[in-house]
Amino acid sequence: MSYVLRTRHLTKRYGQKAIVQDLNMNVRAGDIYGFLGQNGAGKTTTLRMIMGLIRPTAGEIEWFGEGRAGERARAFERVGAIIEYPGFYLNLSAADNLEIHRRLMGMGNKEAIDDVLTTVGLIGAKRQKVKSYSLGMKQRLGIARALLHHPELLILDEPTNGLDPGGIKEIRQLFLRLAKQRGITFIISSHLLSEIEQLATRVGIIHQGKLLEEIDYEALQRKSRRYLEIKVDDERRAAYILEQQLNASDYVAAGPGVLHLYEHLDRAADVNYTLATHGIGVKGIALSGDKLEDYFLKMTGGDPLV
Amino acid sequence: MFNVFYAELLKLKHSRMFWLVLVGALPANLITLFVMMPKVSMDGARVGVDMMYVFYRQGMMLVMMGPSMFTIMAAYIFAREYQERTINQLFSYPISRIRILAAKLSVVFALIAVTAALSSILALGVGVVQLIKQNAEWNTIWLGIRMNLMVIVLSFGTVPVAAAFGMAGKSVIPAAVVGSFATIVTVIGEIGHGRQSILFPWLTSYGPVRRMAQEIAQAGSNPYEPTAALILTVVFLVSLTYCLFHYVRTDVHSGS
Ligand SMILES: Nc1ncnc2c1ncn2[C@@H]1O[C@H](COP(=O)(O)OP(=O)(O)OP(=O)(O)O)[C@@H](O)[C@H]1O
Ligand SMILES: [Mg+2]
Repeated sequence: MSYVLRTRHLTKRYGQKAIVQDLNMNVRAGDIYGFLGQNGAGKTTTLRMIMGLIRPTAGEIEWFGEGRAGERARAFERVGAIIEYPGFYLNLSAADNLEIHRRLMGMGNKEAIDDVLTTVGLIGAKRQKVKSYSLGMKQRLGIARALLHHPELLILDEPTNGLDPGGIKEIRQLFLRLAKQRGITFIISSHLLSEIEQLATRVGIIHQGKLLEEIDYEALQRKSRRYLEIKVDDERRAAYILEQQLNASDYVAAGPGVLHLYEHLDRAADVNYTLATHGIGVKGIALSGDKLEDYFLKMTGGDPLV
Repeated sequence: MFNVFYAELLKLKHSRMFWLVLVGALPANLITLFVMMPKVSMDGARVGVDMMYVFYRQGMMLVMMGPSMFTIMAAYIFAREYQERTINQLFSYPISRIRILAAKLSVVFALIAVTAALSSILALGVGVVQLIKQNAEWNTIWLGIRMNLMVIVLSFGTVPVAAAFGMAGKSVIPAAVVGSFATIVTVIGEIGHGRQSILFPWLTSYGPVRRMAQEIAQAGSNPYEPTAALILTVVFLVSLTYCLFHYVRTDVHSGS
């Protein structure tokens, strides 16, 4: 497995307070890594350390599988980032802002500027001063800037901040397209689960500076799926009957006398009746498990997310 | 390195910076116009243009405007990255922060040079005309050019101080306060024409201007020059070291 970015025991303390604590993040090539946490969880602080904007109190950052330090400058040529806010020189047009980026990245071709502006749908506002841009337009321009030098990894701190629902959807499509067509790896931070729900392939959940869990999105979904918990006297016979009579296949034996059925969630009465008429003693049947949102809430101590 | 410098220059496009340059350069040209007005001596004869005097007046105005203008220019170039929240991006380039600092300071140097050039444009024009009319010698013109070159270099001596205020204050305001204070001291110093005044770092650039004066007391070479040069060098090095340290070491939290 090739890693694009790993952090080892990454820690940031301000005085006595640990803002980020012993964080081990593993981002694999091709991941769309959703970096999920509530306001103040430490997402931006982590990303700042990764981009060398603040100095870690402890820990290491490993880029593209190549050891540490020294290589950072070279690694930055392969990374595009928006940290916290897409800042631009307000007196300049979008094109001039990108020209500055092109120069500082030491890139050759000027046409790339029009290409990325087209990609994010800002080609029409190319000559407009950024001063007159809305926050949503700045977000897009930030994505354009981050894309200009053909990065392998995009690090985006809450990139859909300030976008309307239509815009969020559009940007999500763009990210998916970039991931698929160009094989770009993403780290996208968010405090909204719903925002990365239809995007992320992997999720890291940070809470109070600690990475609680790092998990494939699918596994997360499985973990947090809802099911009927059926308590019976003979789970093997019960399973057989569910298969035969209700055509069920998506279930697991969760323990002695306990079945988790992921289908027929709204048919608890039918399930009960079918089992009973086939001579199974049903002691209980209940809808259980988490919605993804609830699961996330539970992990982060039940504080409601925005 | 050129790319970094060019990028820094490009950042000033459509900014107010060029107004600052003009404000810095205009008064000197106005005073030159005034000095050039035809003069008549007591006995009614017309007096020719004294090029030494023209350059002296031009230089006076330039070094009077310099402390505030150059301070604001330098502070703006550093502070705006925080104000416009571009500092995160700026420090995410595969470019060392030392080179970014160097490019920014070079742009300030260029702006000072342009201001001085524009400020002396009328005086030089007059000089060339006088040269052609054989009313002035090349030597005098050269003294004027050299004075302006010296002013450029000496004015740069306090630029890292302004830069330091700009980056630490993350705003032009603290630097502007320093600049106004320096201007007040400068104006008082210049009016007094005292030889020691050049010991004040923002007034060291008055040194070469003062050398052009003929009618003030103790004109010509100034015994305080070595000390003034030393003080300015120390101020330059100390503030530059601070800038380096601050730029390279400090954690960056944009716009906060
Ligand atoms: N320079 C600092 N000094 C002290 N505390 C800080 C500093 N910077 C950030 N913090 C604290 O660190 C915590 C994490 O901040 P951070 O910006 O990383 O959170 P975040 O996960 O990005 O939140 P959000 O979703 O609001 O952007 C916050 O409680 C914040 O108050
Ligand atoms: Mg944040």
